[in-house]
Amino acid sequence: MSPSILVAQNLSKVVPSAEGDLTILHALSLSLAQGDSLAIVGASGSGKSTLLGLLAGLDRPSAGNVILAGNDLGPLDEDARARVRAEHVGFVFQSFQLLDSLSALENVMLPLELHGRRDAREHARGLLERVGLGKRLSHTPRQLSGGEQQRVAIARAFAAQPAVLFADEPTGNLDSHTGERISDLLFELNKERGTTLVLVTHDERLAHRCQRHIRLDAGRLVAPLEP
Amino acid sequence: MTRLPFSHLCSLAVRQLLRDLRASELRVLFFALLVAVAASTAIGYFGARLNGAMQLRASEFLGADLVLQGSEPARAEQVDAGTGLGLRHARVVEFSSVVATDAGIQLSAIKAVDAAYPLRGEIRSASAPYADETPGGGPAPGEAWVEPRLLAALGLSIGDTIDVGMKSLRMSRVLTYEPDRANNFYSLTPRVLINLDDLEATGVVQPGSRVTYRDLWRGDSERLGQYRQSVEKDLAANQRLRDTRDGNRQVGGALAKAERYLNMASLVAVLLAGVAVALSASRYAARRLDASALLRCLGLSRRQALTLYCLQLAMLGLVAALAGAMLGWLAQLGLFRLLHGLMPSVVPPGGLAPALAGIGTGLVALAGFALPPLAALGRVPPLRVLRRDLLPVPPSSWMVYGAALFALGLIMWRLSLDLLLTFALLGGGLVAALVLGGLLLLGLRSLRRMLAGAPLAWRLGLGQLLRHPLAAAGQALAFGLILFAMALVALLRAELLDNWQDQLPADAPNHFALNILPADRDPFMQRLHEISAHSAPLFPVLPGRLTAINDEPVRQLVTKESTGDRAVQRDLSLTWAGELPQGNAIVEGNWWQATPTQEDLPGVSVEAELAASLKLKLGDQLTFDIGGQQRQARVSSVRTVHWDSFQPNFYMIFQPGTLQGLPTTYLTSFYLAAGNDQAVVNLSRAFPAVTILQVDALLAQLRSILAQVTVAVEYVLLFVLAAGLAVLFAGLQATLDERIRQGALLRALGAGRPLLVKARRIEFGLLGAASGLLAALGCELVTLVLYRYAFDLPWSPHPWLLILPLAGALLVAGAGVYGTRRALNASPLAVLRDG
Repeated sequence: MSPSILVAQNLSKVVPSAEGDLTILHALSLSLAQGDSLAIVGASGSGKSTLLGLLAGLDRPSAGNVILAGNDLGPLDEDARARVRAEHVGFVFQSFQLLDSLSALENVMLPLELHGRRDAREHARGLLERVGLGKRLSHTPRQLSGGEQQRVAIARAFAAQPAVLFADEPTGNLDSHTGERISDLLFELNKERGTTLVLVTHDERLAHRCQRHIRLDAGRLVAPLEP
Repeated sequence: MTRLPFSHLCSLAVRQLLRDLRASELRVLFFALLVAVAASTAIGYFGARLNGAMQLRASEFLGADLVLQGSEPARAEQVDAGTGLGLRHARVVEFSSVVATDAGIQLSAIKAVDAAYPLRGEIRSASAPYADETPGGGPAPGEAWVEPRLLAALGLSIGDTIDVGMKSLRMSRVLTYEPDRANNFYSLTPRVLINLDDLEATGVVQPGSRVTYRDLWRGDSERLGQYRQSVEKDLAANQRLRDTRDGNRQVGGALAKAERYLNMASLVAVLLAGVAVALSASRYAARRLDASALLRCLGLSRRQALTLYCLQLAMLGLVAALAGAMLGWLAQLGLFRLLHGLMPSVVPPGGLAPALAGIGTGLVALAGFALPPLAALGRVPPLRVLRRDLLPVPPSSWMVYGAALFALGLIMWRLSLDLLLTFALLGGGLVAALVLGGLLLLGLRSLRRMLAGAPLAWRLGLGQLLRHPLAAAGQALAFGLILFAMALVALLRAELLDNWQDQLPADAPNHFALNILPADRDPFMQRLHEISAHSAPLFPVLPGRLTAINDEPVRQLVTKESTGDRAVQRDLSLTWAGELPQGNAIVEGNWWQATPTQEDLPGVSVEAELAASLKLKLGDQLTFDIGGQQRQARVSSVRTVHWDSFQPNFYMIFQPGTLQGLPTTYLTSFYLAAGNDQAVVNLSRAFPAVTILQVDALLAQLRSILAQVTVAVEYVLLFVLAAGLAVLFAGLQATLDERIRQGALLRALGAGRPLLVKARRIEFGLLGAASGLLAALGCELVTLVLYRYAFDLPWSPHPWLLILPLAGALLVAGAGVYGTRRALNASPLAVLRDG
């Protein structure tokens, strides 16, 4: 078995609320190897997105720790975590999170430019062609349909060749047909590039395409993590 | 990417900026900066060049840029210092002497000049009395140019010979104008202009004679400054430097007011543009919260994300500032071209300073107004990509307002260079804004209760305001600021112009009659009344010198180069009067009611500025030397004097019946319409001893200066208007996103376009009316301060300011409905789908 790329140990998240402290994640542990795919499922408010944010280093746990690509995120400050993200992580969001003022091509170029890649344009163009948008390079997000926007977001997510891709309800804003095609694309690329995929969804069909699943209920793991 | 090099961040910023230019808020920001810099630059150039041109005019009154004056010739090293710096130089020697002919003698003011005189302006002369004038030239050796009244007094004509001391000179031309005449028109006997080469031959100037030596200098201000520095420290007791500032009080006063006005107007334009910058920058920042969060997700550190956005804004700012400076430069060029006929032929170019100052102003405004909202972009949590409700920790309001206030203060200080005034305005403005904003907030809150039973359009319109009362109050303050600024500039313009008009009415005296002997007094006034309807009262004049204050010699009491110093170095024109002369106002003590009693000293009324400089108090005992006799008087009142009126004005006015028995002449001024030259000639023939001075030329110069300033003032108003509109649209832009969403929602729910337009009209109309009310109140408050301390104008309430609420309602409602029409036209589906 290959070494773990993502490890969570006793991860908890507690937030203050009007009625006292509210625990939204209870001592959760998991471990993923390179190339694994994990689906996190559960009802709204079960703590899925919170877990995703903690695993990706976007937020800090109240207890426990996350080791991402060999980096223990616990002692790292936000800027240091940002460097880890830059190095190893890609994202796909439910609301696409494309920059309105940039064209499709420019959106995909962004992470490459942040890495200082000189071939950003060519590489981004290649990726957009790969996701079937070779003819929509200069369109801005507003000129693209939801499915097309998510393709751009997927191309952007894979652009910097991340070790781990986090996807937060990637098909949540799309109709079922388009959602199907988007998930096809996501898994194809994931397979091609050997990326580890962590997927939050409440779409059971999408979840079943992953090798492993966990189900959250009120912040607790209710279905075991099957290898 | 652990170490993203700065150069890489820069190139990324350039690319991002170019791509971002599609965003409307960036264009508004660019435009606001452009206006700020263009207005500041144009006004700066205009002010500097106009000032330069007016200084040139003013230097004509001096005949030079700088004059070294003394009762002994300037020392060789003082002259060498100037010539060594490459300054142009001319020499003038003035003294009084008797001009003799076979027909008689006449005391005259002789002025010996070299070929370089004058360095500024031109002599004008004619071939015969009252013949056409020709500018330029000067008397050749052996010649004398004389004023017509010398010819009248001695019954001579051009071509005759006069003797000045031991030298015979042929009168070759009639002298009609010398540029530096205005300096001393009270002490004038007929002028005789001779060549400096003839001076020695006259033998009149001997050691001990009362002579004024003037070394005239002309050059650029930098070298003049160097020259001033090098000679200033070693000035002899009899010497002093004079420049255009003390060349002429009338022009100086108008200039100073005009400059203050231009600066204030430019400040208003910059302030407005600053508000536009702040509004568009905060929209820029708000719309980039998601992008910033995404960049952080993609691995940019806080500092890098912030740097990236700061770099983008800095680049935008620099480009806008350069373009603005260029635009401002072009604008003032256009204005000077427009004003071609009004302007003097030579207008100094103004240098780079105004452009640099304009760019600096723009960048300071950008930093002060845009950095605080931008700082939020560095603090946005990356988790926002998952949870849109997460907002950056708001910066402390101290930082936001502190930065803006600091920037504003810096700009104000640069423009007014008056710390006290800056603090007064800034502090007063802040307090007024807080108080008025608070009142507005209370008003808005109380409106909520009345809203329940109102029609839908009202509830929608008002509801929009009430949903965020704080934001609505802020907007009303911002719009109020625009209206306030425009009203203030318009108000000041009108009052300044009125003030200047009053200063120079069409029948301002254009002739002065001096040296009227007591015997000639009544017949002269009788003749004068026959030819002129407008004459000032007759003032007795005695030359006298202040020698002691409370028995201490004044020499020890005054500081060098002060008004007091100048006053005690020469004879003052003393007078007495039973009534307070026109244009004078008592500020301390009382004007006398009766003649003095025998036992007490007679009273004297002292001009306020001189009294302050000499530190005189009521009751101080002054000793004067009048024609060799000592006279004492007690300070009984202190007066302010309208120096910029063309009336005879006096530093010292004695109680009537106190200067009897001393040799006195009389002085008056009168107005004579153009074309009455012959009447003046006849008057001067009938009273040969009387000196009649025509000041038409001086008046005309002053009028043309005021006309220039007036046009400048109106032009500046246009800039303020442009800046105001920029703010208005930036302010509307700032609320556009929310309006588009709300409009779409309402239309999706079935609201018709007319209802939305009506609601919007109500909303903006109310906002505008509130702004107008704030502006009217603010305007009254600020003018109260400004008039008193900056412009020296009398203040009274301005009821017409109450139009402002109405004007505000119309303007803001019109602009508001127009500016947010996109919110009405956007497709509801597209808007709502975007979320």
